[in-house]
Amino acid sequence: MKAEPADHLQSRRNGPSQQVVRQAINWLLRLRNHATHPSLRQQCDTWRAAHPEHELAWQRVQSLHSEITSNLRAVPGAHIALDTLENSAQRLSRRQALKLLSGVALMGGAAWLGKDLGWQSWNADFATVTGERRGYQLPDGTRLELNTHSAADLDFTAQQRLITLARGEIMVTCGRDPGRPLLVKSRHGLFEGLEGRFVVRQDSDCTRLSVTSGRVVIRSHPNSDGSPIQVEAGQSYLITAATATLAPPLDMDAGAWADGLIVTRNMRLADFLNEVGRYRPGYLNCAASIADLRLSGVFRLEDTDKLLAVLPRTLPVQIRYRTRWWITVERLA
Amino acid sequence: MSSPEFAVQALYSQHHGWLNTWLRTRLGNAADAADLAQDTFVRLLQRSERPELRAPRAFLRTIAQGLVIDHWRREEIERAYLQTIAHLPEAETPGAEAQALILELLEAIARMLEGLKPKVRKAFLLAQCEGLTYKQIAEQMGVSLRSVERYVADALYHCYVLRYES
Repeated sequence: MKAEPADHLQSRRNGPSQQVVRQAINWLLRLRNHATHPSLRQQCDTWRAAHPEHELAWQRVQSLHSEITSNLRAVPGAHIALDTLENSAQRLSRRQALKLLSGVALMGGAAWLGKDLGWQSWNADFATVTGERRGYQLPDGTRLELNTHSAADLDFTAQQRLITLARGEIMVTCGRDPGRPLLVKSRHGLFEGLEGRFVVRQDSDCTRLSVTSGRVVIRSHPNSDGSPIQVEAGQSYLITAATATLAPPLDMDAGAWADGLIVTRNMRLADFLNEVGRYRPGYLNCAASIADLRLSGVFRLEDTDKLLAVLPRTLPVQIRYRTRWWITVERLA
Repeated sequence: MSSPEFAVQALYSQHHGWLNTWLRTRLGNAADAADLAQDTFVRLLQRSERPELRAPRAFLRTIAQGLVIDHWRREEIERAYLQTIAHLPEAETPGAEAQALILELLEAIARMLEGLKPKVRKAFLLAQCEGLTYKQIAEQMGVSLRSVERYVADALYHCYVLRYES
């Protein structure tokens, strides 16, 4: 059962029960469809008189029904009301599915009926669940991609275009808007995208900025001199609560996830499994004796079970499923 | 907060720009977005309770979402209606004033039927608009008589809940 506002419960408690309303509807429809039945009307009257709740439900159902019928019949022309309502309803639901639902499709359809359902959960403008990736075109032409289990908020004003990374990882492809700087804020720093494309990944203790093309300036960081740091294409910076430092070349491609890939260069197996684990629920780990095995290659993220199944072809390991979501990688016996 | 108007004003100054952007990504049209952003705050002023203060954006978005859907519904009904009457001889085409009234009626019904499964909606409309018997509806839709009875009753119950219990 979902929680409902108290006033809903109240009105329901005062009105007829669901069962009585259903009965009233059945009486109404039976009378309508068997108008000539000799004793039906009388039986219905008996039911109505049996309890004040019955009568109230009957009055409501009947007035609602005649209102709908007379509204529909007021539309001139055969089939016109029906065709209009059918066509528009189909198009409207397609449109909702295409546009509005795109960021929060997993909330379920009930949330779209305009009722007070679950709005508390939508605290971020854009969000993904584990294993999900999504892309958005922003109104200024900027493209925003969210990696697995990520969330971001937008605050576009006349002065600035601010994206706040609430959790996880985003890729930003800068749209042009010379008057308003494009800013990305994480827990550890503030970044201004000047041109091109960059990735910001926020973990609990640090944020990593990787510029794939163009230029980004780190506007705010914990270093003592405080002056802006220019970051060029191909560079990565690590920003913690204490320092911002140029990172050594990465052992994986920072933005490949946006294409649904992990691309590694001589990456430790333990680190690789950590990465893969971000895209699936549950537990994924390896024995300490094989943690330092190295891995290079291109791996597809769309099915991480298949991805793991590939490992034994290149490394002396075996995959052990204890349950669907509890996996350990072990040395080949 | 000293007064509701003051609270809405504060929300307005902090979140209006953001809401405008949010609406523009949905509507793809700056003028409509500006209108609906205004409407959202007007709705807020009309409300008696103020739960929006804890999570203002989520709340604004919930109201705005409803308005976006209303806006689209109006557009789609108008479009579908004009298409449907396009082939009528001119003498039978309602005048502009009558059309406005008809669109309003259709919109009210569409809002009421929103959220129904397509089959339920269709069966209900066939019974109400066309006055078909359940047997005719069952044949036309290729479902059992029993299903038609259930669909029509379900649709009516849905309307009842919307009208009297929400």
